Amino acid sequence: MSGQDRISASVAVKEGQAVCAACGHDLGPATKPWKDHAQRREIPLAQAGGQAYDTGHEGVLLRHFYCPGCAALLDTETAMAGDPALDDILAERG
Amino acid sequence: MDPMTFSIIRHRLFRIVDEAVITLKHVSGSAITNEGHDLMVSLYRADGTLLMGGVGFLHHLTSAAEACKSIIRRFEGDIHEGDIFLLNDPYTAALHTSDIYLVSPIHHEGRLVAWSACFVHVYDIGAVNPGGFAPQAPDIYTEGFSSPGIRLVAGGEMRQDVLDTILNMVRSPEMVTLDLRSMIACNNVARDRMQSLMTKYGAKEVDGACAELVNQSEDLFRARLRELPDGQWQSRQYLDVNGETARVNLTMTKKDDRLIFDFSGSDPQSPYSINCTKWASLGGLFAPLFPLLCYDITWNEGVLRPVEMIAPEGSIVNCTRPAPVSVATVGAIQSVNNAACSTIGKMLGASEKYRNQSTAVWHANHFAIFKFGRNQKGGDSIGILTETFAGAGGARSFADGVEIGGEIPNPISRMANVETVEAAFPVRYLFRRRAPDSGGPGEYRGGTGGELALVPHKAPDGGINYVISGKGSRHPMSEGLAGGYPGAPNSYVWVKAPEDGANTPVTAAGGLDAISGTQERVSWGVYPLMGRDALYVRWNGGGGHGDPIVRDPEAVRSDVAAGLVTLQSAGDIYGVALRDGAVDETETMAKRKSIRSARLQQEASE
Ligand SMILES: [Zn+2]
Repeated sequence: MSGQDRISASVAVKEGQAVCAACGHDLGPATKPWKDHAQRREIPLAQAGGQAYDTGHEGVLLRHFYCPGCAALLDTETAMAGDPALDDILAERG
Repeated sequence: MDPMTFSIIRHRLFRIVDEAVITLKHVSGSAITNEGHDLMVSLYRADGTLLMGGVGFLHHLTSAAEACKSIIRRFEGDIHEGDIFLLNDPYTAALHTSDIYLVSPIHHEGRLVAWSACFVHVYDIGAVNPGGFAPQAPDIYTEGFSSPGIRLVAGGEMRQDVLDTILNMVRSPEMVTLDLRSMIACNNVARDRMQSLMTKYGAKEVDGACAELVNQSEDLFRARLRELPDGQWQSRQYLDVNGETARVNLTMTKKDDRLIFDFSGSDPQSPYSINCTKWASLGGLFAPLFPLLCYDITWNEGVLRPVEMIAPEGSIVNCTRPAPVSVATVGAIQSVNNAACSTIGKMLGASEKYRNQSTAVWHANHFAIFKFGRNQKGGDSIGILTETFAGAGGARSFADGVEIGGEIPNPISRMANVETVEAAFPVRYLFRRRAPDSGGPGEYRGGTGGELALVPHKAPDGGINYVISGKGSRHPMSEGLAGGYPGAPNSYVWVKAPEDGANTPVTAAGGLDAISGTQERVSWGVYPLMGRDALYVRWNGGGGHGDPIVRDPEAVRSDVAAGLVTLQSAGDIYGVALRDGAVDETETMAKRKSIRSARLQQEASE
């Protein structure tokens, strides 16, 4: 990876480590899934807020991944229980 | 080749496609073509490879290339000047049977030098359900007329027996004739203009420019890929249909100047017609790739070369015959669009140079609702609710998504005027407007989708019926980015009028809940819209970008004032307190602080 890359607007990369873009909290190597180092919460979609998400169906989840340092919401995923997290990683520059 | 001539030829090719699109629209009489812009025109080289991709639904650019190649193989040695071939078999190249390809060889001085191809979604194709999308089809055999390649025009003369055979198998043959004639006219214009280009500059010179154009696109695209970070990005789409949920899984890997889209792990093909074939999946991933990564590069074969697709056979993204596929374009293909849009958005967001090109997923969920029945003039009408093309923009890394802002796979998609629909069908709109809370919350909010309600009006049969292929009412499909929420899912509701005869109020105020009657969710099949009942539809907004609790509270206030975000969501999701229409700063700070501490009280992930 080049020095200028980042994982996303919310997860920066510093010296090869994924870090929270807001507070710099370490989220592990950028070449590994950073979500393993985030705080994860699963909310039934119907309770995610607002009537529009309340579809009347159970089993649909909205996953939140928070920075353990500053509680910034780093990423969300629509999911069903038990489905793996979506992993976004940068490769080592060969 | 001297750069001036090259440039002139390149621009002439653009203009040829543009003029062919205009011709298509001038001759066509159907709302889905003229109003919705469910169309595509492109030019191909003599071997069928993509030369100049046009506008319209971009997932057709590569599939129509396969259609040209397939015609070349099937009719080898028997392709003549003035011929036009029809192909609509999804297991050969097409996306679904109702998107008919007409491909036309272009000859110059007796030699085959290029092809033009176009499609429209024809008025009807004779599937079990009217309009082409067939939620009740158990297999390809019930999805209407399907040809792996047939000569419709021979040496400039219509083959009347072939045309009559096709028209004998469809509803509203007069409208299907017009569809076919619009495509013939379109191909004729493309052929004439290409021939005059060759006459002016010489066939060899033009073909040389075309070869250079393809190489230029490849070089530019590879250079762009090298500028982007190497890595791996994942996305997942849930397609809920008739109580079942199917997954489309995507891992996109970018290494140096190559891009691999791997759909391994996607669910097996469905018994429902949401499946798509491999050519359709390939088209599906290129639809967002062209505008997001190649917005300044000519869309042709050169862009295809650095890209590889892995789609397991027998899966929902590479189904095997005779699996039904008539809903593919709004089913698995659109999920492939969305998944690719999401991973490309993530990759762009990871780049210093291109982060401002990053976008959350736009309007991820088409709803195919075809109204059909006797109209107020005594004739028969079949037509899609073109609001499905109205879309909703995904949030960018620096700005909100555009409200009802279209979609990525079709840069020119749009919806018909209410009056156009009311003139052609015995219905009246109660309202059509932006839907509150439909845009995915975020620091930058996804653009809102819309909502509408229809009632029968002056219908000779008391109303009409409609075919609905309405998936996506359980799972949000417009994924957010970097902490942005997804756009809200679609909603399809049949409001049954009360027995006591109370009138349905004709008002936009209050939306769904202001329509009197009992509400029943519908999503898949054929339903009546009769008497004083109403059909309510809400379509999804775009995905959001960034954490909603860092959104500028003034932007939230303005959204609430405009009816785009409800007071409840302003408080619960954005942590913004409003008092007398103004932001209460102290309470907003307290609210946001409390949301933050609640987040950290959760257990750490394993
Ligand atoms: Zn942090």
